[in-house]
Amino acid sequence: MGKKKNSLTPTTFSLLHATDFADRLLYHIVPPLKAGMIVLADRYAYTAFARDVARGVDRAWVRDLYSFAVRPDLALYFRVPIDVSLDRLMARRVKLKFYEAGLDMGWSQNAQESFRIFQGKVLDEYDRLVDEFGLRVVDASLSITDQQQMVRNLVARQLEKPALEVVNQ
Amino acid sequence: MTDQKPDNKEPAPEFGANGHIQPGRYYGHGLPYVAIEHYPGKIIAVEGTDGVGRSTQIRLLREWLEVQGYGVVETGWTRSALMQPTIELAKSSNTLNKLTFVLLYATDFADRLEKEIIPALKAGFVVLSDRYIFSALARAGVRGVDRAWLRSLYGFAIAPHLVFYLKIDVDTLIRRVLSARGMDFWESGMDLKGGDDIYDSFRSYQNKLLREYASMTDEFGFRVLDARRPIDVLQEDLRRQVQAFLASSDIAQGEDRALTETA
Repeated sequence: MGKKKNSLTPTTFSLLHATDFADRLLYHIVPPLKAGMIVLADRYAYTAFARDVARGVDRAWVRDLYSFAVRPDLALYFRVPIDVSLDRLMARRVKLKFYEAGLDMGWSQNAQESFRIFQGKVLDEYDRLVDEFGLRVVDASLSITDQQQMVRNLVARQLEKPALEVVNQ
Repeated sequence: MTDQKPDNKEPAPEFGANGHIQPGRYYGHGLPYVAIEHYPGKIIAVEGTDGVGRSTQIRLLREWLEVQGYGVVETGWTRSALMQPTIELAKSSNTLNKLTFVLLYATDFADRLEKEIIPALKAGFVVLSDRYIFSALARAGVRGVDRAWLRSLYGFAIAPHLVFYLKIDVDTLIRRVLSARGMDFWESGMDLKGGDDIYDSFRSYQNKLLREYASMTDEFGFRVLDARRPIDVLQEDLRRQVQAFLASSDIAQGEDRALTETA
């Protein structure tokens, strides 16, 4: 690790993403919340909890790092087996990115193999997060229509609640 | 987002609680993927506000240590290859707020810790650190960032073996800074928008900063040095304390060091 002068370590990777998140939170998330709008976030702090811990940073440290984040009113987790996600990426001829495939960890020189090992650890962490933070699981191996129906039901139920409530803990 | 505790952890060691700090060990949760026990090198940090004379003292100390036969590696704030360009850009463009600044500085420190400090400790070097994490804690503390969160954030830092705090009063500091190079936007805390007068802002900001450093003295076991003294007198004091520490440690110097390096 750290062979190249500019390569990221698990900790600098984690901190840079937290910096980016802090910036987005302050400019793009908090203002619309204050204006009473709905913010749709494609990935949130949970991504960091899963991905950074899979890279080896401390579980409690990364949670505390993100304690400045606003807790979402509803967090959806699209769960899919590794094989399915890999097949989908391959079908779209997506070239696996260096960090996305966990190639920085040196577990395998082969991008697909590395992706499989790394994402396996990431999925294990997500499973933990489901209980810890009450993520609502959507089965992402279902058809897009079925998934969307589930999502709409969950969102509709959330919006029926008396007031939009912001929890900042 | 920590209201439900992760289940894998005993609580982190009491960061900064005096008496719990072990030099050469992580302050908090640390880097779980880097075991640093038994590394022979030592970290000597020199802290103090801008213009207090840190860099001069470190340069003199380095020369002296090298003559004694110690291997010396120097590291300083915002000098990481990874983050320096970004931080310079951020400072000039005024798009960042205090939180993103704190995180950028922490990233810079983490990069230097893993790429410079830890390898040097492993190889038995003396790491001279021009500022350590304490300047970051002081600056962010003055800007109202939660102190407990800051300490958790820097829980991956290694406690230095020695921390020298160069202490100065604000009047002496002002005369020194003005006769050297003048007052700078950030060192004057102009981002805090306390007014347009840079002199008043500098005085008020540095006063707060000095109080913040003072409050950390016991928490982190600073060795306080009176920085109002002439350069050579201060340097002599520094060398005497460093000498005493290194002599009582197991760190290699001179021919011994050459042997361990080739071994």
